[in-house]
Parts: sequence; structure tokens; C-alpha cells
Amino acid sequence: MSTLNAAQRSIVKKPANTSVFLEGPAGSGKTTAGIARLQHLLNAGVTGSSILILVPQRTLGAPYADALRNPGLPPGGLPSLLTVGGLAQRMVELFWPLAAEAAGFAYPNQPPIFLTMETAQYYMARLVQPMLEEGAFDGVTIERNRLFSQILDNLNKAAVVGFPYTEIGPRLKSAWSGEPTQLRIYEDAQACATRFREYCLAHNLLDFSLQLDVFRQYLWPNASCHTYLLETFQHLIYDNIEEDTPVAHDLVQDWLPHLRSALLIYDSEAGYRSFLGADPQSAYALKEHCQEHAAFARSLVSSVEIQSLTASLGQYLVHGIESPGEIDPRPAIAYEYQRFYPEMLDWVAQQIAALVHEEELPPGEIVVLAPFLSDALRFALVNRLEALGVPARSHRPSRSLREEPAVQCLLTLAMLAHPEWGFQPTRFDVTYALMQAISGLDLVRAQLLADIAYTIHQGQPTLSSFSQIIPDTQDRITYRMGERYEHLRAWLLDYQHNPQAADLDHFFSLLFGEVLSQPGFGFHASYDAGQVTANLVESIQKFRWVAGAGLAQAGIPLGKEYIDMVQKGVIAAQYIQSWQLQAEDAVLLAPAYTFLLGNRPASVQFWLDVGSRSWAERLFQPLTHPHVLSRHWQPGVTWGDADEVEANQQVLHHLATGLLRRCRQQVYLGLSELGEQGYEQRGPLLHTYQRVLQGLVNQFEQGEG
Amino acid sequence: MNAPAMNPDLQFSQSSLQDFVDCQRRFQLRYLLRLAWPAVESEPVMENERHMRLGAQFHQMIHQHLLGVPSERLANMLHDEILLGWWENYQAFLASDLGQALNAGQPTEFTHLHPEIGLASASLGCRLVAKYDLIVHTPSGKILIFDWKTSRHRPKRTSLSERVQTRLYPYLLVQAGAHLNAGQPIHPSQIEMIYWFANFPEQPESFPYDDRKYAADEGYINDLLAQILHKNAAASPLPGSQFPLTSDEKRCRFCAYRSLCDRGVQAGTVDLMDLDDEDTTIPITLDLEQIGEIEF
Repeated sequence: MSTLNAAQRSIVKKPANTSVFLEGPAGSGKTTAGIARLQHLLNAGVTGSSILILVPQRTLGAPYADALRNPGLPPGGLPSLLTVGGLAQRMVELFWPLAAEAAGFAYPNQPPIFLTMETAQYYMARLVQPMLEEGAFDGVTIERNRLFSQILDNLNKAAVVGFPYTEIGPRLKSAWSGEPTQLRIYEDAQACATRFREYCLAHNLLDFSLQLDVFRQYLWPNASCHTYLLETFQHLIYDNIEEDTPVAHDLVQDWLPHLRSALLIYDSEAGYRSFLGADPQSAYALKEHCQEHAAFARSLVSSVEIQSLTASLGQYLVHGIESPGEIDPRPAIAYEYQRFYPEMLDWVAQQIAALVHEEELPPGEIVVLAPFLSDALRFALVNRLEALGVPARSHRPSRSLREEPAVQCLLTLAMLAHPEWGFQPTRFDVTYALMQAISGLDLVRAQLLADIAYTIHQGQPTLSSFSQIIPDTQDRITYRMGERYEHLRAWLLDYQHNPQAADLDHFFSLLFGEVLSQPGFGFHASYDAGQVTANLVESIQKFRWVAGAGLAQAGIPLGKEYIDMVQKGVIAAQYIQSWQLQAEDAVLLAPAYTFLLGNRPASVQFWLDVGSRSWAERLFQPLTHPHVLSRHWQPGVTWGDADEVEANQQVLHHLATGLLRRCRQQVYLGLSELGEQGYEQRGPLLHTYQRVLQGLVNQFEQGEG
Repeated sequence: MNAPAMNPDLQFSQSSLQDFVDCQRRFQLRYLLRLAWPAVESEPVMENERHMRLGAQFHQMIHQHLLGVPSERLANMLHDEILLGWWENYQAFLASDLGQALNAGQPTEFTHLHPEIGLASASLGCRLVAKYDLIVHTPSGKILIFDWKTSRHRPKRTSLSERVQTRLYPYLLVQAGAHLNAGQPIHPSQIEMIYWFANFPEQPESFPYDDRKYAADEGYINDLLAQILHKNAAASPLPGSQFPLTSDEKRCRFCAYRSLCDRGVQAGTVDLMDLDDEDTTIPITLDLEQIGEIEF
């Protein structure tokens, strides 16, 4: 409490029977006040279990999670830290028998089956595939899994905004002003969404959208559920409300009169999750439902130069004018033009190394941001930093499980162990798998072994025995490697002939435990391989729990279906990592939005690809539209180019100011004439910086002259 | 070996402390290093998984029942014979003398029945947490801790009495449960810890609590924490800086880390285990669901 300023203390010490709406820009100490308020309530004797902390997504809950682990908290019940989605799922799980029939589920006396993103995508793929074969989405050239995810996203938008899912297509169509062929695409998107929802109701499946709908329409009004929630939670701390959805805001609005206390925290000029349905407007409307209002204005994070830069950029992006303040922000900006992209990366790496080694800035105080973080960029920069002795970590919200070497090895070995599934791994895959699986087996010997021992016999993949290889070649491979190979081969054969062969996740657990993690094999004492294998096993297990019974009924081996879906990019394309795992003191490489939603400031930011148009453009999503599917869209209005330009400008404004408000001291701009793909870079962020810098030169240098 | 960072966020639960008692190395790997090691823990794995899931479903049904979901609606959802048997046993238990305690609170009255409740306290700078299946405050002032067990074997009383859970739960309730006692400190003699076995419904095991046990448990728990802190301060995640492995190598047959410790290849069968319904792989975590964080 002693480290809080007066404004924060006044929030913290509000009586435990009042509702407060707190607003202010990022970095003004609102979340710190929220955490202090939580501690104050607990210290004042409020029962922990009566406190609900709501956040729009889990990264934004991290500061509260940290606070709740503090051993200095008084003894008592545990506060709940949830998203509205998490709350909805928990309520559906608990009160399912009271809602299932009314909600239209075909088997109300069977338990609900909750779909993960991955399994929802799987069912969507199964339902949409026949429509694709009949010509649906003709002319749409995005990857299949992105197509499926956009249909799911439309259902989610309908749920979080609160309109019937049957209106998705009509809304999108009515707002379209371009080529008429797009109208049919929207019709297809609606047909797929309808088919998916009907399938879910017929099979007790609940994706995110249906969980939220069931909670909102059937459980929140249900006396048992409503009473339970109102009696359980009497104090609410709701942070980053601008990143949450209209339905979440509706819920809180209903709840507020029943709560003993509430603290709602609104980050002005944010709303970064608007493409996921976040609605700062409906968030701000909660203000009038709170008894007291407070505002923080002063940044507790940024230097005066960074604050001045933020103001200058904001002025230009909102009003199109160069209006420098009284403080020259240029000492807080560093940049150097390069012609080629790799030269820019070299410059960035050198600047970081100088900061770490010469100025002794902790690496964890540095972030490298880009609109996108491709694998190539990540690899190129991490390698450069490693060569300069700087620890680095990358942070993407999702990581492709199927691209992990350990996973590729496991999948190939699964194909070899299950020849009846009809997969025929390539020789390269087998070489790679052997190299990963057998400790000490290098590429040359692995290739030699695969060339000789791996064959397709009667359409089935087969590994022959090491003893059948001629002695000279055995010598080259070495008997030690041969022995390990033979052990692995024998294990796979034994498994193959076991009449009680296991499901795929069990198979991987056995293979991992009995062979690959044993001494002499590639995963032995490899913590990374253990983690990746665990992720794969978990992914298959969840898939089995959801789809296993149906596949068994249809006579389709679960493992075959899983691998098939992996190969088609439907599952294991994304894997949500534990956000807690990477806390070490290392330079963070992250997409800009991911950093924003991590909500942790850094001393120094490097902005890469400043000339890229992607800083201001939304993702290409031909099946959906965040603005048209928002609560504020007026029926009958069309979305035109001018709307797009204005929306992009606003996106850029929020993004640039949001980043700067999370920067303490210095921004480095990585500038190259040619971008990562070799195209010339002339995006609006670069243009803005150029105009603002020119304005600064005019004011601070010409004035001196 | 590429070691992950030590876990700065560790909270101590009965599962983690029990792991430390059983094998300090397993505790280090699982909780300090958070090392995922997906080998089979025990065979037959699919049957065990099914048993575990039924156990979780049973716990949830009791929770639902105690929140006021009518029994008949819950009974309609029973399609598994094992689960049906457990549920019938539970219904019979509610009619027993002991089960009357649950009825006393009335299913919709949450003041006296506290199902699935978490408590936390701190000792030696460590946060202790526990999630209780049910705490009942009876009209006579007794506070009963119920723990539902769905294990296939009925453990002996001596075995249960030695478990960390039997010591930590009453201890933590005294420490952190005043709000369940109208804001008044709970006296140890008010507490009774009861294990109720779904497969052996007429043989619950009860452990009354008192001042002497409370003092002993405080010493025991603090001693465990002190040992952990001492070893953690002395250790690094590197090989050669390991917590000691258990001397009882039979335990390694039921431990996923056996290959990492070079202590065997195949998993043991569940028949040899004492309590086989505990999913010790899931630590208490904060529950945060999300729409999904897509790649920008």
C-alpha cells in the first residue's frame, strides 16, 4: 500500500459496499490499484471465495494470478479468477440437467461434451467437407483450417454480441457492397454455421458459442444457477473490460445491483480484441451503472519523452496534424535505414547486444515486436541474438504442434506400427524419425539405415532387421546404433502383434516411456521432447474423449483419423502453450497484439517491419467481418472502402499508442526498404513516423536556428 | 539436458506434499521443474482412465446434488453400472446417521454446506492450499470434512492416517476456515475428517481432530516445508543437483518419471496400489477459459 500513489489509495480504500468505475490509459496504475483493492478486501476480512475477478482473457489475469499466490495474503477462501467463457462452461457443467432439454439438446440425459478449439475445428471440417466437394466457397483461396475457424468465429461473434446465429449470413450480405459472387460465400458460411449448430445440438456437443448461449439464455435466468452465482460472489473486480464482449457486459450490468462491491477497470483507447468481439462502447456504458467514477491520467510507466512521442503520434493519426508538444521526444527514438531486411535484423541484434552487454540492461526488459512473427523471422533473430550471447524467447499465442521434430518422429513411428492404416511415410520421414528416436544416430547413418531397411511391402510400410544388412554397411552404421535400431523395431513389431493394441495416445505414452525416453534413445532426459510428447498425448486424449465413441461406432480407427486430420492441417495445427512457462530473463519476441494483451511494460521496444502495411490492416477474413457482426452495426448500411480506411487508421492509432504506453524509455525502429518478402515497404506506420519526425525537426531544430 | 526454469509460483497442496513424502525427486520434477513426462503411470491404462473419469463424474454429481439439482434428474443421467452403484450407495448414505448431516443443511442452503470449497493459508513463506469435497457445519457446532473416495480397494486406517491429506485438511481448516464458522476461529475439537468410500459405503473412516493433533500436524507440515525450502535453496535444476530418489523402488513402478531416473521400463498394475482414484497429476490451478488466442 505504501508504494501506491494517492489516486490509487483512494480506489483501494473505497468502502466494501460501493461500485466504482475506474478509467485511464495503459500504464497509469489501474491494475496495480485493482490488485491492491483485492488485497485490501481480503485484509479487511472479506471472504476470499466471495470475490470474483473477471478478465477477458487469461493473459490479462496474470497479475491477479500472481497476487493470489502471494503467501502474504491472509488465510481464508480462494477468490475465483475467471473469464466469462470460463464461468459459462463451469455453470453449464454444474447445472446441465436444468438446461439441456430447454436448450434443444437431443440427449438431455447424457452429459455435455465440451469442444476445444481443436475438436470444434475437427467437427466443422467433417461437416463442411461434403459441402466443399459440392462447390461451396468456390473462389475462396485460404487454407481449409482458416476457413473452418472463420465459420466458428462467426458463431462465436453471434454468441458474444448476442444475436441469433441464423442472422450471420443475412448481416454479412446486407453490408456487402462489392462483387456479387461474395454473397454466395456468405450464404455458404451461414449454411455451414447452421449445419454445425444443428449437429452440436443433436450430439450434445458444445463449442464456445453454444456454451455461452446456453449460459446466457437458459442458466443465468434459471433460479438455481442465478441464486448460486449471486450468493457465491458478492464482490467483483473486473479488469480490462474494454477487451470483453457485449454479452459479458450485459451479464455484469445485470449483476451489479446484486453485488456488495465492484471495481470495473476500463483502459481508454484500447479494445485490441475487437476482431474477437471486444466492445469498448458497451464496456464504457457500464460506467453509468456504477455508483462512483474515477480516472487516472498520469503514466507511471513511460518517460516524458515517450509520453510526448505518444501524444505526437496520436495527434497525427487522429487529426492528421503534426503537433509536437513541449518536450522533444527524439532522444527516445532510435532508427537506422537499411536496404535489405537481413541487414535490418543485423542492426536490431547489434543494438540489443549493446544494450545488454554495454549498458547492462536486463534482457527481460527488451521486447522485439512485429505485426506478425513468422517462423523465419523468429529463427533469424533468435540465431543472431544467440550468436551475440543474448538470451531470447519467442512468444506466439499458438505453436504448431505438428511442426515439432519430436511430433513428426512420433507420427512416423505410429504409421510404421500401424501398417493397416494405410499411411506410407516417405523415406525422408523415416530417416528423420530414426535420427530423432535413436541417440547418437547422425543424418548420414540414419539415411543409410532408412535406405536399406525401410520398404513398402504389399502397400504396407516395413522395417527390416539390422541383421539382414551386409556386414560392411553394418560397420558403417555401427553395431551400437544397430542394436538400438533393432530394439526400437522389435518394440514396434511386438506392439503390432499385440491383439489388445492401444489407442494412439496410449501408444505414444508406451513408446515414450518404454523406448524413446530410455537410455540410448533420443528423448532420454530431454525435457523439451517430454513436453512436446505430453502436448501431443493430451491433444489426442481430448480428441478421443470427444470423438472416440462416434468413430468406434463408424468402425474408423481413432489413430488413423487423428493422423489424417493432422496431415490435413485440421488439428495439431495450433497448440496453446502455457503462458507461465517462459518467465526467464530473456529478450521477448512477440507479435504486437500478443505483447499488448500480455499487458506487461518493457523498458525498450524494437518495432520491426515498420514499413509493413500489416500494422494497420486486419487479417484477410473473407467469411467474416468484425464490424458488421458487432452490436453497433446498423442494419441496411453497407461497408465501404472509406469505412475500411477509417477503421484501419483507428486500429493503427490504438496499436501504436498502446505499445508506447507500455514502453518505459526507448523505441528502436527497424527500417528496411525491402520487407521480409522482398517488397518495398511504404505502410502507414512508416509514413506517420516520417511525418511526425519531420514535424519534430521543424519545431525543435528550426526554432533553434 | 535442457532444463526448464524452477517454478516460482508453487503452492503446496496435499498432492505435492504427498509426492515429497513418497519421493523427493518426483516432487522436484513435477512441482519445482514442472516437467511433463508422459509415460504410462500404471496399467491397465484405459481401465484406469475410465475409473478416474467415473470418479470425477461422481464427485460432480454430488456437487450438483448439493447445489440443488434434483436427485431424479441426476439419476436420469446414469448410464454406467459402476456409477449407478456409487450413486445408489450415496443415496443410501444420505439416509444413514452420518449422511443426515448433509440433509441438515438443506440442499439449497449454502450457509452450512460448502461443497468443492478451496482454502489457503501460509506457513514459512509458503502458500498452502486445499480443495475440499465438502465441509459441513452442523447445527451442533461440529465441522465435518467429507472426502469422497472411489478407489477399488478400501485402504487401511493406518495407511489413511499417514496420508498428508488426513493431516493437512483439518489443519488448514483451523487456519483458514473462520469464515465458515460465522467468523469465529475454529477449534480443532470441532473438526472431524471423514473418508466415505463409494465402493464400501458402510465402512467410512473417521478421524476426529483435537489440539494435540493440530500441534503435531503443524510441526509435521512446517517440517516438510522447511525441508523443501532447504533442498530447493541448495539445488539447481541441473543434473547432479537432484533431490534424493525414494529408497522404496516399488513406488517407481507407478511413477511416470521412471525412465528419467533409470528405474525401470514398464508400469506396474493398479491392483498393487493403495488408493487408486487420485489424479495427482492435476495441481490446483486458477481456472481461466478463453475463446482462443489466435495468431495475429
